[in-house]
This record gives sequence, structure tokens and C-alpha cells, in this order.
Amino acid sequence: MPEITRRTFVKVSAAAAGTTAVASKFLFGGLETVQHTDSLLLAQQLQEDTVHTTCWIGKQDCGIVARRIDGRVIKLEGLEAHPKNRGTLCPKGTAQIAAVYDPQRIKTPLIRTNAKGQTGEFRAASWDEALNLIAEKTKPVLEEDPKLFLWQKGRSKAKAFYDKAFVKATGATKLGHGAYCSDAGYRAAEYNLGCHGVLHPDFKETRYLLSWGWNITAAGGNKTCWITWPQQMLDAKEKNGLKIVQIDPRLRPAGPHADEWLPIRPATDMAFALALCRELIQLGYLDEPYLKKFTNSPYLTGPDGLFLRAEVPADAEEGTVGKALVFDLTTGATAPFDEADDPALTGAYVIDGVTVKPSFQLFIEHVESYTPEWAADICGTTPDRVRGIAEEFGRQAQIGSTKVVDGIEIPYRPVAIMAYHMAQQELGFQTLRAMISVAMLVGAPGAVGGQLVDFTWKVHKNYAKFENLSVKEGPYDYTLGKSKFFPINTGFPGILTKVMQDPAKYEVEKLPKIAMLHYVNPLTAFPSQADFLKTYGMFEFLSVLTPWLSETADYFADVVLPAATMEKYEGPSSASDQYIDGKTIRLPVMDPLFESRGEIDIYIDLCERLGVLYGEGGYIDQVNKNLPLKDEFALPLDEKPDVRDIFDRWSRMEGLEGGIEFFEKNGVWIKGPVSAKKRYGYATETPFGGAVHRLYGESLLVAQNKQKELGADEVYYRDYTAFPTWRTPTFEQSPPEYDLTLISYHLVVHKQSRTSMIPLLTELSGKQRLDMNPQTAERLGITEGDEVIVESQNAVTGETRQLRTVVALSSGFRPDVVGMPHHFGGWSPKNNKGLGPSPNEIFYTGEGYMACTADQSYHVKVRVLKG
Amino acid sequence: MAKYAMAVDLGRCQGCRACMEACKIENNTPQGVFWMYVFRTETGEYPHTKLDFMPRPCQQCNNPPCVKVCPVGARFQREDGIVLTDYDRCIGCRYCEVACPYGVNYYNWRTPEEAFADYGTDYGDPQVAAVTGGLIPPYKNPDLARLQGKEQRLTAGSAHNVGVMEKCTFCVQRVDKGLEPACVDVCPVHALHFGDIEDENSPISQYINQRTGFKLLEELGTEPSVFYLNGTPPGPDTREIERPLTEVGS
Repeated sequence: MPEITRRTFVKVSAAAAGTTAVASKFLFGGLETVQHTDSLLLAQQLQEDTVHTTCWIGKQDCGIVARRIDGRVIKLEGLEAHPKNRGTLCPKGTAQIAAVYDPQRIKTPLIRTNAKGQTGEFRAASWDEALNLIAEKTKPVLEEDPKLFLWQKGRSKAKAFYDKAFVKATGATKLGHGAYCSDAGYRAAEYNLGCHGVLHPDFKETRYLLSWGWNITAAGGNKTCWITWPQQMLDAKEKNGLKIVQIDPRLRPAGPHADEWLPIRPATDMAFALALCRELIQLGYLDEPYLKKFTNSPYLTGPDGLFLRAEVPADAEEGTVGKALVFDLTTGATAPFDEADDPALTGAYVIDGVTVKPSFQLFIEHVESYTPEWAADICGTTPDRVRGIAEEFGRQAQIGSTKVVDGIEIPYRPVAIMAYHMAQQELGFQTLRAMISVAMLVGAPGAVGGQLVDFTWKVHKNYAKFENLSVKEGPYDYTLGKSKFFPINTGFPGILTKVMQDPAKYEVEKLPKIAMLHYVNPLTAFPSQADFLKTYGMFEFLSVLTPWLSETADYFADVVLPAATMEKYEGPSSASDQYIDGKTIRLPVMDPLFESRGEIDIYIDLCERLGVLYGEGGYIDQVNKNLPLKDEFALPLDEKPDVRDIFDRWSRMEGLEGGIEFFEKNGVWIKGPVSAKKRYGYATETPFGGAVHRLYGESLLVAQNKQKELGADEVYYRDYTAFPTWRTPTFEQSPPEYDLTLISYHLVVHKQSRTSMIPLLTELSGKQRLDMNPQTAERLGITEGDEVIVESQNAVTGETRQLRTVVALSSGFRPDVVGMPHHFGGWSPKNNKGLGPSPNEIFYTGEGYMACTADQSYHVKVRVLKG
Repeated sequence: MAKYAMAVDLGRCQGCRACMEACKIENNTPQGVFWMYVFRTETGEYPHTKLDFMPRPCQQCNNPPCVKVCPVGARFQREDGIVLTDYDRCIGCRYCEVACPYGVNYYNWRTPEEAFADYGTDYGDPQVAAVTGGLIPPYKNPDLARLQGKEQRLTAGSAHNVGVMEKCTFCVQRVDKGLEPACVDVCPVHALHFGDIEDENSPISQYINQRTGFKLLEELGTEPSVFYLNGTPPGPDTREIERPLTEVGS
């Protein structure tokens, strides 16, 4: 017998794989040096290739190269050329490979076989049967009143043209996810500055950043997600010495990257911002030329809070409003705002026997009582720190300085605020307005290094709309749009749950009859779970498009359609990092797994069955309008489109030779640098796109007056004030035994409720926990890892709710605050089980727990009991 | 001959653990095995708390205790500095695990199939297997079973066989192709750098030379090839938070 070495054994085993296990056991005890599969892999000639695509699981569609072996994807890596991620990926981006192959995905269309409101039992169905059933249930509703068909989506991936096309073609009522995210911040920026976005720095130039909230190392910014955001932030620190002040009850969001940590009490951000405004005024850090020329600060305001306006010529169109008047210091008389040489910002003037003041004078008076001492008391900090930050913000703003960028001399104000998710509070809208006011005082909006909002300085259509807020008499539609309850309202599923429970209270006559949910999971992703549980079973018919059986689908879906993950066409997406512009398209890394399909394919087939695919106003026409596809590139309205062809036409229309093949070959289309003329508000063709910045919210006051006139309760109108006005948030009125404030936040390895079933990610994050300061734990007799009951109390209704979790100690937490990541809490698919509860189970929604703009608040008082 | 080293810029690390995830997928490690590990730590008491992140791959020592104690020559250092395990020679005695002061060695108690079952995902599912050929994990990397380097030894991770030791290989299967280790390649904030430390003009040499830093437990004489820059080593009061895979996530 020849001597068997382990090396020769390897060779032998490759040839005789079938005997390997037995032989290894015999020869080496438990050793299994060679696996059969490896031998098989090596025995074959493997075909290796790569496919360009984009991230599907996260927010910003980072560029990806998928490495494939014989068509099987084995790794996702960052695409070097993509400006957003420059060859890198976050943990989610890499781990989504496990999502693609997840056997927990829905494999066929499903039809419910048991009653709703409990764990679902489903039978597999064909696409034909499932789509026909949806069409059969939907058609009569579209004929009766298409608005009674509710279409709801979570975050749209890539350009939402195919969603919009479906909503437009059917006439459905649409609800999104923004009310749980940052919509109140968008509305504040649109209101005050005209731009669509939340607050964002100009990293190449910003030197001083107030980083407000949990975002910076956990989720990045509003327009650039984590990866782009931290890359630029770190480069700014290294190259320009950017200083970061982290304002949050937790240190963790900035970690070692904070130069200063200011742990203020949750939901006191407005008080802090108002005190900053007061101090900037006291210290004289005011950009008067900006305030005079580009804001409504000089507008003369009467005792009724309304602007003094020029008379309207007799021949003017009906509804024309006279130009606001200012007091021109040069002439000593009033003049229309755009005709004055030197409008006054301060003082009081008697015009026609009435004392009027520039709205800036009113602002000075408004913030006078918001002293550092006052704010420190509310925020739980010291007056010195309020003063210190105001002083540094003002000084660093370098008011009066300019910088030449792309050959244009532009005001240089290298200070900015990051406040992406700060809108998630009861005073959210006005809190963001207060923060924007801080930036406005020093002239930072749209300046080099200053307060940016979007990648380019564009005026959003809401800016004009907000000049006159529509507040009508009831009855209202079930989203309460244009109602006396929410003069600003972009659609809040939480208030829908309240309306469905008590339509009379909200003067609603017709509730949604049927609904379709597209990759949205209100039951675990949104507060309040109890309200969704009460109402989402009330739809006569509910269909759900989702790759996994969401908890909401599990409890309430009649039909579930399996959507593909990254094995589909989707796009186009912005590839911009705010300095380099580009576009990309998600390309399928393989054929859709199981019987799943891309959403565009699904909508095309569904619209055909609904009779709304072809012809003018149909789905194809709406795709042409919303993508858009124009002229010879438009899809024929009488021919069922092919999805690849849709993107091919778009690519050709954009002038890309080879059409979609350009993306197949390159992955990303780099359009080039974003010019200063586009980025900086001061530098656009007409500065700031012609929008007058609203330090003073006259139309908010007008809306409040209308709300009162129509008999709205104070809870709905109290925050419609011309200036952000502090009041103690409702949740603080819970009884004193509820001595801790619960906040929730984002973990960098998860994405809302859509990733916790991926064990590769949960492995990194661990399970749910309650973060607590060790001082608090000691007081309560709790130690690390203890099981506890967290009980919340609704200060309005007195209701209490509980969840059970375990404690994790952290000295990076304010002692009067406890926190939980806003992930977990699921039970379907099975890998969601056992990870612990979601804080959304004990948050509340509705009056006292939402903003005046119908946006969710994530603050509640709790007590923690030993479990 | 190149001599490979890694630089970890603690001034840039955000503790996101993308490097851990990329490592797990590239090297097909089962649940709980982290060839790359990122510590998230706290020091001090509120409100003077300090928070830090510290990625910790195998330190690829130039005086590697694990090599010295290996009784069968399975653990060895290549000329390019990479310390590897020859899975054909390893007898799983775990001496390396005891000798290593960094805790980077993992012993395979179970077959990969058994170990991957911890993830609770049924990759044997026939409909998944129809696409993946039944491979576990479905993203199985064929390079790991290939013989590496001029020695042509089975060093790249093999198949996580029962009874052998394994650890970070600097992704030898990538390095030998001229690529960076998976953790370096993926790092979203460019905190990780890799290259030839003997070439003083190489980007990594320059990166290290322009910054101050330390090596982990350098006083033990292990001569690590991993350089920590722009940070301080953990001290006696440093507490780990947010440990992976734990009930409380910390």
C-alpha cells in the first residue's frame, strides 16, 4: 500500500469525491480537508463575467459591479466610476446578495385562504389568476370613484415614473412614506427658501457644521446617502478643518468625528435654534444685504400680521395681490419691495395712521425672550454653550466675504446645518424653519460653503403654492388634503388610520374601498402599529407587491405579488454626488428568481387587465409623460412595451450612443461637474430662482385664521404661526412617573423594516435593545443585558403601551433619554422572528404625536420596569 | 519582492462594518466568524464620553507567534509577508489560537453546511438550488478552493473544513490577482489602505509616513503589518459596545 499523505489524499479525493467523507473520517477523525463541492467547482471550466447594476436595497442606487460565475452572482462590489460611491459599498450593499438568493422570498403570486387580521394562509396562484383577481376587484372601484382606490408605497427606488404612471392612469389616491421620514423638513425648506430637500452642507467649502440628529455616521444626508456623505465629510475635515458640532441626545451619530457634542433634550431643538437666532441678532451677525434683497424681512407688517401691499390696478386680473411694501430709507417713504433702494429692516413706521413694522423688526421682538438662559433650561444645557455656538456660527460665517467659483464671485458663508431627520417631531415643520432662520440671518442659504438644500438651486412648485395655502370647508377626502386640519399636508398614512376609525370627526364621507401596497410595510415600519392593526383590515380588498411577505401582507393581503429585487430594470437614478452629475440605470444581475417579476412588467400587465394600458392617458402615455420619453423616442400607445426598450429609448433620447448598451458597458453616465451657476442660489440666472425667502410666514398666519374661521380645534392651528414659536411638546405632559424620553434612530447596517430578515446584516447589528445611560440604569437597579418592560404613555388619551427588550448601557446617552433602533419587530418572513420588538409598537400617532403638517413624531415618555 | 501591509486610518473609520461584511462574502465565512472585526468602543463617563471604532484584521505579524507554535508547518509566512494557513497540513491543534494575542483565529467545529445553518436560511431550498446548483452559501467563491502562490498551497480559505484553523488571509486569492483585500476594496470612507510597504514610494508607504500611528500590542514584539493611524490604542477603561450577534447588540 502506498503511503498516503494528506496532499495525495486531496488529489485522490478530487477524483473520487463520493468516498471522501468516509475516507476522511477514517483517516483523520473529524477532519474534512476537502469538500465535494470544491472539487466539483475546480473540475469545471468556470465562466466568469461581470454585470453593471446599481444598489437596490439602500437609498441612493450606488454603482455596483456584480461578479458572476457561470451566471451565478458571487459578489457585489462598488463601481469605481460612480460618483456616489467611488468603488465602495456599505454593509447593506454587499449583503444584498443574500437578499437576492433568499429562500424566504415570495416565489409565486399568493392568494389568501383564511380570514384577515391574523397570520396569513395563502395558496400559490399563477400570475394570470392573481392579476385577473386584482383587476376584477379594482375595476368597479375605478368606475365608481378612482380616488377610493388607495395606492401606497414606501420609498420609491430610482425615478418614480412607473409609480406615477400607474397612479395617473388609474386615478388612484397616492400615499408615500415621507410623513415618517423628513417631509416636514422638505416643506420647511420649500416654504422658507423654495428648494426641495432638507438642509445640506457644501462639503467642499463648509468650515463649521451643526450636525443635528442621528444621521451623520448612521445614514448620511438627505440628498446624498451614507457613503457619499461621510466621504465628503471626512475629506472636508482633512482638507479644510471642518468643525462638527453634534447636537443630539446620543453621541453615537457622530462618534469620534464630533469636535463638540451637545446632548440636548429630545424635541427641544426649536428652542435651541431660536436662541441661536436671538444671539446672532444680539451679536450683530446679520447679513443685511441678503436679508434686504432676497428675503421678506423688510416687508412692512400691520397689526393683523399681514403685509402692507400696494394697491392693485383696476385693470389687473382678478385675484391679483398687490406687491408687498417696504419702507425705503433713501426716500423716507414706502415702496413696493422690488423698487426700494434701501429697505428698512428695523423700526416702526406710521402709515395711514397705522403703525407698521418690517417683519424683521417683528422677528427681533419675537426672539427677544428666547435667551440663552431660557433655551439652556429647556434644552438641558448651559447658557454658555448656546452663546458659544451662536458666536462661532456667526464668526465662521464670515459675513461680507466672497469667493470666486467657476469665475463667478459669490458670497462665501462657510457655515451650514445638517438636519435631515430633525423633522420627525411634533414641532418638526417649525423647528426646521427655525434652523433655516439661523442660516438666513448670516446669509448662508445658497452661498459658497453655506446652507444648501438640493444639488442644484431650483425652486420647487410648492414654493408658489405655499403663498396661498388652501384651507377648505369639509367634507374632505380621506387624506385630509386642503383641510382645516392640515393646510400643509403631503399625505400621512397615520392620519388615514385615525380617519378610518372616526371619519365623522374629520368630516370625511368616503373611505378607501380597496388598496394596493407597493413595498411598504406599515405594520412594523410606521407608528402606530395599533392603529394600522385596527384599520388595514377594513379595505374590501388589499393587494401587495413585495419581494418578501411583509407583516402587513401577512395580516391583511388578499393577493400578494412577488416583486424582483435587483434582478430587474429600474431607473434612471441620479449618480450625482452634488459636485459631479451623472445618471445610472439598474440592470438585472440575472433573470428574476423564482416567479418574481420587475414592477414595471407587473404594472404593464395589470394595467392591460384594468383597461388602462393603451391610448391617451393610459399607462404607456403616462410613462411617456413622466419618464419622460418625447418625440420619436416616445412609446407607441397601442403596443405593449418591453421594459428594456423603455430604458433604451430613454438612453437614446439622452444622446447616449448604443442606448441601454451604454449602461451595460459602463454602468454609469458621467455628465460632468455641476457648475457654480447651478449649485449656488446667489449665482443662478436670477438669484435664488427669483424666490423671495420667507423669514416671515404670512401665509401660515392666513391659514391659521382660516382654520379658526372654519372651527378647527387649537391642536390643528396652534403651530401655523408666522415665526417658529416655542411651546412645550405634548408628550412632555405625561405624568412624572414616565420619567424617560424614548427616541428611535437608524443603524447603518439596516434599512427600515426591509433588511432585518437578512441574517448577514442582523449578525452585524445584533438584536433589538434599549440604550440607557449607566447612571440611569444604576438608579433603576438595572444592569447590562437585563430584560426590561418599556411602557409608554399617551399624554392626550392616557393610553399606555408596552414592549419587552433588553438593556444595553452606553455613556454616550443623556441620562434622561432611552433609545431603540427603528428596525426589527417583524415576524414574517421567519428570519424576522426573535429579533425583538420595534419601538413603533409603543409610539403613538394622531393629535399630540404628529406635526401640524401631518408628519409623524417619534417622541414619547416612557418608564422602564424590570422585566 | 513586495511586502504587504495594511493601514487603518482611525481618523476616517465610521465603524460601519462594511469591511466585515465584504470579508464574510468574499471569504464565505459562516455565522459568527469574523476574519475582519470592527470594535466599537466607549471610554469615559457622560458627558465626557469618547467613542471609537477600530477594525481588526489579522495583524499579519512579521514575528508571528502563531507560526512559531504550529507543530506541522501549516501556519507559515510567505515572502510577501502574508501569514497563511495551509489547510492541507493543519491538524486543528489550536496552538496558533492560543499563541495569538489578537484573537483572530477561528476553529472550525462543524462543516460549512452545518455552520451556515446558523443563519437560519435554507439554502438547500430546491428553487434556490435550481439557480445556485445547491452551493452553500449561494455566493460560494470558487477562488477559495484554488491553490495559491508559487508554493501552490491551499491557503485561501478552502471550504472552512471541519477540524482546521482559519483566519484572515489578507484575501490572498485577491492579492495574487493584483487586487486589494475585500475589506480595503469595499471601505466606504477609504479608511483602509493596502500595498507594498517595502516600496517607499508606494501609496501606502506615503500614507503611513504622512501620519502618526501605532501598532496593536507592539510591545509584545509581534511586529504587525497593520498600521493604525490618526488614533490611539484602546486603554484599560475602554468598553466595547454594540457587539455583533448579541442579544443586546452591545
